[in-house]
Amino acid sequence: MSAALAAIETRRSEALDNFRTRGMPHRRFEHWRYSDLRAILDAGQVAQSGTAKWRVENLPQGVELFDLARPADAPEWVMQNLGAVGNRPTMKEASLAFADGGVALRVAKGRKIAEPLRLQFSSAGNVRLLVVLEEDASLTLMETHDAEAGLLRNVGVEIALGGGARLSHVRLAAGAPKSITVEHIAVTEARGALYRGHFVNFGSRLARTELHIVLQEAGAEAHLSGISALGGETHADVTSHIEHAAGGTRSTQLFKNVAGGRSRAVYQGKITVREGANGSDSRQTAKALLMGLRAEADLKPELIIFADDVKCAHGAAVGDLDQESLFYLRSRGIPEKEARRLLVRAFLEEAVAEIEDENLRTEVWHEVEHALPHAMVALQ
Amino acid sequence: MLEIKNLHAAVDGKEILKGLTLSVGIGEVHALMGPNGSGKSTLSYVLAGREGYEITQGSVTYGGKDLTAMKPEERAAKGIFLAMQYPVEIPGVTTLTFLKTALNAQRRARGDSELDAMSVLKLVRQKAAALQVSEEMLKRALNVGFSGGEKKRLEILQMALFEPALAILDETDSGLDIDALKLVADGVNALRAPDRAMLVITHYQRLLNFIVPDRVHVLADGRVVAEGGKELALELEAKGYAHFMREPA
Repeated sequence: MSAALAAIETRRSEALDNFRTRGMPHRRFEHWRYSDLRAILDAGQVAQSGTAKWRVENLPQGVELFDLARPADAPEWVMQNLGAVGNRPTMKEASLAFADGGVALRVAKGRKIAEPLRLQFSSAGNVRLLVVLEEDASLTLMETHDAEAGLLRNVGVEIALGGGARLSHVRLAAGAPKSITVEHIAVTEARGALYRGHFVNFGSRLARTELHIVLQEAGAEAHLSGISALGGETHADVTSHIEHAAGGTRSTQLFKNVAGGRSRAVYQGKITVREGANGSDSRQTAKALLMGLRAEADLKPELIIFADDVKCAHGAAVGDLDQESLFYLRSRGIPEKEARRLLVRAFLEEAVAEIEDENLRTEVWHEVEHALPHAMVALQ
Repeated sequence: MLEIKNLHAAVDGKEILKGLTLSVGIGEVHALMGPNGSGKSTLSYVLAGREGYEITQGSVTYGGKDLTAMKPEERAAKGIFLAMQYPVEIPGVTTLTFLKTALNAQRRARGDSELDAMSVLKLVRQKAAALQVSEEMLKRALNVGFSGGEKKRLEILQMALFEPALAILDETDSGLDIDALKLVADGVNALRAPDRAMLVITHYQRLLNFIVPDRVHVLADGRVVAEGGKELALELEAKGYAHFMREPA
């Protein structure tokens, strides 16, 4: 057995132990309160769900790719980071333990990749993604998830950003009303690094996107945004935890949700400002538009501050479409259905605008337009 | 073209209009004056079809058809335009997108072909200049961050664009200084046409110096209490509303 394989196998068996010891997450844990995974999935099903597929549609020049299905050949940068970025939450441990594959990407020091890299996950099972951007490297990653996720798709993502590195990450998950979809994204950022993450959800039977971001050194920034457009009986939970571990770090979050039918949108945003992280600046906003009386939104910002000199702002609002605006548009000849749609689009606009790449923004809008009629069904 | 007969209307169960009768012929400009709370804005909302206004008695016909049975968007497509006292701010929708969507919705409803973005822009530019509506305003979110004057000018720009058969101007003069008022009034006057009727609702006579009406109606407590030519507005200014409220028409 090669040294690489031995190291990875050791870490994987540790992950398996962690998963077995802790068992399935359930609603008694505060951060799983609105998404009771244990109620619909058992540990055996997670273990037996196999490995999901991944496909890199284009590999821009300057990006190094390693197939995690061949751990024996793992290069140094994979060995160092696989299973080592961020904390070790249960479902992420499960994906490490059970996924016999996945993909690792690296951009070497100083290289700036202009063309977005497109990565697609498909089929059911566990799968891993590792992204390493070395100092001053930059990349745009478009991650898509298709709708055929079987019983469970569990994605474990690790992102390690070196000093001054920049990653723009757009995650677009197709609606999968019969599947359970879980993704855990851990990001660590060195001095002056920048992570921009945008998460588009169309819901699944239970969809959980969990982010854990550590701003380790001064000047590191994280900007999270996203939209959920949910209809039918779907659910989408975005739970983030951003740790300001050093001073002079900055984070913003902007999440917009439209929930129709009997769907449920969840946002939980926790900010921790660690002792000594003075001059940290964090802002978070979450809003939900409820269509009809059967849809539900749970928005929960949370601040834990151990430093003195910090700026933290948070806001959450749940409502329905503004009747005055609706009348204004209709009085100008715009039929009610079109007017409602225009207002919902306007509500989402601010969050989608956070996507910097124009083509990706257009692509996201296209998918959102497609999902809106379903998300705007109002049940009484 | 607009016939309001013995109209009674209530909001949240409270009767605001109490037997209002008013008729506006094709191409005529009528002024409706009245003190606060007399029912002026209620009438404008009833005519535009806002929800929550219950008609308990009487009738409103427009071009011989029952107006009250039509949705707000149908009324707009049939040529009714309400310039609002407080135009709504809508973040996330640019002014130009809104104008294009509304114009094309009306055209579609009338069976006309839709205009492409370039044609709309050309048309809007052509009408916007006289009202001093800048390109920059057109690119901003609808009414967001607009001054009072800018909002009113945008209302008149819409009127110019939609070319209504009946324009209802609800307190278009409120919140405007004299220069802004003049600009808006010039815009309205430029739109006077033999086939365009107007109902100019105002609290003050001042606006009627600029937009000279054919007929003046005085509204008090939900009813028309006096009617006359343009000189009635001056009389009203001199004597005050109290004078008219004591002797119902």
